[in-house]
Amino acid sequence: MRLALDAVEPELSRLWQEEADKGGAPRIGLFTLVALASELPLLGRAQGVVAEVAATYPSRTIVAMWRQGVDAAVTADAALHRITATGAACGDAIVLEATGGGREWLPENLGHLALTDLPMCVWWVGDLPDFDKLFDRVAVDADLVIVNSGEMDLRDLEKLSMICKRIRDSTALTDLTWFRLRPVQELIARFFDDETALACLTSIERLTIEFNPRDGDVDAASTQAGLLFGWMANALGLKGDTVAWNRGSGWNEVTIGRLVGRFEHRHRDDVPPGSISRVTMECDGARFEVERQEDPQLFKWSREAPGAPVPPQTLRIKTPDESTLLIRCLERPKRDLLYEKSLHLGSKIVRVVAPRLSTRIDG
Amino acid sequence: MTDNPFRAGLETERTPQPCVFVIFGASGDLTRRKLIPALYNLAVSRLLPPGMTILGFALTESSEDQFRANMREAVAQFSRRKPIDEAVWADFASRLHYVSGKFEVPESYQRLLAKLEKLDKTNGTRGNRIYYLAIPPSAFRAVNDNLSAGGLVSNDADRYTRIIIEKPFGRDLASANALNADLHRVFTESQIFRIDHYLGKETVQNLVALRFGNTIFEPLWNRNHIDHVQVTVAEDIGVEGRGKFYEEAGASRDIVQNHLLQLLMVTAMEPPVAFTADEVRDEKVKVLRALKPILGDDVARLTVRGQYAPGHFAGKPAPAYREEPNVSPTSNVETFVAMRLEIDNWRFAGVPIYIRAGKRLAKRTTEISVHFKHVPHALLKHDRLAATPGETSDGSRVEPDVLAIRIQPDEGIGLRFVAKVPGPTMTLRPVTMDFRYGSTFGGSGPEAYERLILDALLGDPTLFARADEVSAAWRFMTPILEAWEKSPPAGYPNYAAGTWGPAAASDLIERDGRAWRRL
Ligand SMILES: NC(=O)c1ccc[n+]([C@@H]2O[C@H](COP(=O)([O-])OP(=O)(O)OC[C@H]3O[C@@H](n4cnc5c(N)ncnc54)[C@H](OP(=O)(O)O)[C@@H]3O)[C@@H](O)[C@H]2O)c1
Repeated sequence: MRLALDAVEPELSRLWQEEADKGGAPRIGLFTLVALASELPLLGRAQGVVAEVAATYPSRTIVAMWRQGVDAAVTADAALHRITATGAACGDAIVLEATGGGREWLPENLGHLALTDLPMCVWWVGDLPDFDKLFDRVAVDADLVIVNSGEMDLRDLEKLSMICKRIRDSTALTDLTWFRLRPVQELIARFFDDETALACLTSIERLTIEFNPRDGDVDAASTQAGLLFGWMANALGLKGDTVAWNRGSGWNEVTIGRLVGRFEHRHRDDVPPGSISRVTMECDGARFEVERQEDPQLFKWSREAPGAPVPPQTLRIKTPDESTLLIRCLERPKRDLLYEKSLHLGSKIVRVVAPRLSTRIDG
Repeated sequence: MTDNPFRAGLETERTPQPCVFVIFGASGDLTRRKLIPALYNLAVSRLLPPGMTILGFALTESSEDQFRANMREAVAQFSRRKPIDEAVWADFASRLHYVSGKFEVPESYQRLLAKLEKLDKTNGTRGNRIYYLAIPPSAFRAVNDNLSAGGLVSNDADRYTRIIIEKPFGRDLASANALNADLHRVFTESQIFRIDHYLGKETVQNLVALRFGNTIFEPLWNRNHIDHVQVTVAEDIGVEGRGKFYEEAGASRDIVQNHLLQLLMVTAMEPPVAFTADEVRDEKVKVLRALKPILGDDVARLTVRGQYAPGHFAGKPAPAYREEPNVSPTSNVETFVAMRLEIDNWRFAGVPIYIRAGKRLAKRTTEISVHFKHVPHALLKHDRLAATPGETSDGSRVEPDVLAIRIQPDEGIGLRFVAKVPGPTMTLRPVTMDFRYGSTFGGSGPEAYERLILDALLGDPTLFARADEVSAAWRFMTPILEAWEKSPPAGYPNYAAGTWGPAAASDLIERDGRAWRRL
C-alpha cells in the first residue's frame, strides 16, 4: 500500500489521462462496488471477482481489508481495471488497507471515495460475524448490501432475517445464494403454468429437497435448501408457526400442516456444498420433479399430472461463479420482497433445528 | 399464469405457454439462417416452455431425421452460440418435426392437421399454434386460405392461433391493403404478427428508453430546439446473391417503407400513455399520418434515387449493380434513396427530416442524428465571436449540438457539444461524449429474431407492425414509387460503389444550408 487516501483521486485521474493519451476507452462508471474482505485470505478472491464485475459493468471497486496493528492507519492502492489483461480500461480499482484502529475509519473513507451520485453496493465477502459494527455502519450508507448465505451455517438465516428487519428501507439486502437458486425456482414455477397442474397445488403432501451436504455437516439442511424451502412454503401459503421435526440418518423431515418437507443428503463431489440436486413435489397421482443429471449442469424437468401430459425437458443450468452471481445481484440494486419473505419464513421453519443463534440472542 | 403462486414476485425471464411453432418454408434460407438458430438459442437460454414443438412444412420431401440433421448444420453455422450444446441440442431436436406438402394443395393441410393433433396429445401443446410464414409473398394467399378452409385457425379462450409474417407486406398501398384484407378474413389483428426485425434490435428499444426514461431530452425534442433530423441506413455490401429479390424490391421497398420509417416513427412519436402494444402503435402510426405527402413536382425536388456503378470497397474492386447475378443489365431498380421529409404536427412542423438508405455505400452504418439549432445569440461577441448568431468573428459557425443514436454497428449514443479549448482565448471546439452499449453493459443481448419470436410466443405484439402502420407507410411511399415509375431515371448508374451515393443526395440537403453528417 503506497498511497495516502487523498492521493487516490489524483492518481486515478493521472491513470485515466494516460489511457486517454493512448486513445483508450472513455471513463464510465455505473456504481461503486465495495468489497469488505473480512479475512486476509479473502482479499485475493475479492479482487478477482470485482475485476470481473468491472469488465461487465464499468465501475469503481473498493476492496477493503484490515489487519492487526499498533498504529491506526488506512492506506490505499489505485489502479485501473481492464477488460482483458491488455484490453481497454473499464473502471477504478482501489484497495484500502486498514491497520489497528484504522478499521473504524473505513466507513467514512468508503463514503468519500464512492462515485458521486451513483449507487453504492457493498459486498461482505465470506461468512458474516454474528454482530459487527463495521457491517452496520457501512450498510447504513449503502443502496445494496450483498451477502452470501451459502457460506454460512443454517442458523445464520435467522441472523440475515434480523439484519433485513434492522436495516433501513432504502437499503436492499440481497444474497448471492438467492440468485444461485433462480434457475431452479424458474423450473419449479413452470410446473404450474397451466390450470390442470395448478389444481394439484392445494393437495401437495410431500416436498423433498436433496442437497449436497458440507463435510461433517450436522445442519438439517444447507442454507440454500432452507432458503428454497422458505420460498416454496411461502408460495404454498404455509405459515410455519407450528412445525414438527423428525430426523434420521442423512435426512430430516419437517411437518407443517398437511405438508411433509424432507431434506435429504446427496453427496456429490462435482457440485459446490449446499447445492440442490433434486426437488420433488408429490400429491395424489401427480409428481413434479427437477433433477440434476450426471452432468452436474444438466437438469431434467418432468411432470406427471393427470390430464396434462408433457414430455420431460432437459436444460442446462451453468453453475455460476461468484462474479456471475454478483453481476446478477447488481443488475437490479433494489429490495426484493420475495427474498425477504422467503428468508423470514425459511429461517422461522429451520430455527427449531438450528437453535444456537436464537438462544444466544434471545438469552 | 398470474395465478401461479410460484411466479408471484419472482423476477425471472418470461416463459411462454407451450405451442406448436409451424414454419412454412422450413427448407428455406430464412429458416436456416435466422429462425432455427433463434429458437435453439431460446432453448439454450431456457426460455422455451416444456412441450414446445417445432414443425417444419415445405415442398421438399424429407424425413424428420433428415430435417433434424439439416437444422443441426444450420445451427452449427448460424447460431451466435458455438459450439452446439449437445445435451440441449438433443432435447431441442426431439421437438423438431417435419411434414412435406404443397402450399396450394388442401390435402397437405389435412396431413398437417393430423400431425398437429397428434403432437397436441403427446406434447401437451393444447391446440396452441403459431404459423410462421417464411415463404415467398406469392404464396401468402394460398397458405392463408387453406389454413382457414382446413380448420387450422381458432381463437378460443383456451387455445390460440397466431400468424407471423415477413416483409414485404405488399408492393404498394393497394397490394398491402389486399394482403391485410386477406389476413383479416382469417385472423383478427391481434393474431397477426408482422415482423420488422429492426424493432427487435436492442438499440431501437433503447431509443424509447432514452426518450421516455429521461427527463433531459424530451423538453428539447421539438421544433423549438431541433434544426433537423437525419436517418441513415447504409449497407456496404451489394445484393449478395439476392438479385432476383432485389429486382422486385429496390431500396425503397427493401428498407425505406419498413425499417427506415419504423426508425422515424420511434424517433418522432409522442409519449404513449403506457408501454403496451396498442398505446405504442397508436402513437407510431400518428407520425406516419402526419408525414407531409410528397406529390407531383415535389417528387423530383424532395427525393433522390440512385444505382451503383462499379467502384471499390475494402481495397477490392466492386461490380456495378447491373453486373450482379440475376440482375438485368438494363435494370432501373434503385439501390439508393434519399428524401427530405416533413412531419406536419405540433411538435415537428418545419423540421426537415433527411433520410438516406442504400447498398454499396461507403460504410455499414445505421444511425439517427438529431441536430439542434444554432445558439440564438453570440454571447461572446466582444471576444472572438461575431454578432451573427452562431458565427465566429472569422465567419465560421459555431457547430450546433448533435445527439446521435447509433443502431449498428457499435450501438450507442453520442452527444456532440461545444467546449472551450484550454488557453487564454475563448476558442470553441466541438467535442463528443460517447456512450457505447457494448463497453458499458458488456456481453451481447439476444438477437432481434430471438426477442421477436419470444414476444410472439408470449402474445406481445408491441414490437410488431400493425395493419394501419403498414398501410400508412405505403400511403406515403406509393405516390413516390408511382411517380418514379412514370419517369424512369436518367443517368443510371449514378454513384460509384463504395461512396455515399449520387451527388444529387448531397444537393438535396446542401441547398437547405445543411450537410450530411460525416459517418
Ligand atoms: N432470407 C432472408 O434473410 C430474409 C430476410 C427477410 C425477409 N425474408 C422473407 O422471408 C420469406 C422467405 O424467404 P427465404 O429467403 O427463406 O425464401 P426461400 O429460401 O426461397 O424459401 C422458400 C421456402 O418456401 C417453400 N415453398 C415455396 N413454394 C412452396 C410451395 N408452393 N409449397 C410448399 N413450399 C413452398 C420452399 O420449399 P422447398 O425448398 O421445399 O421448395 C422453401 O422452404 C420471404 O418472404 C422473404 O422476403 C427473408
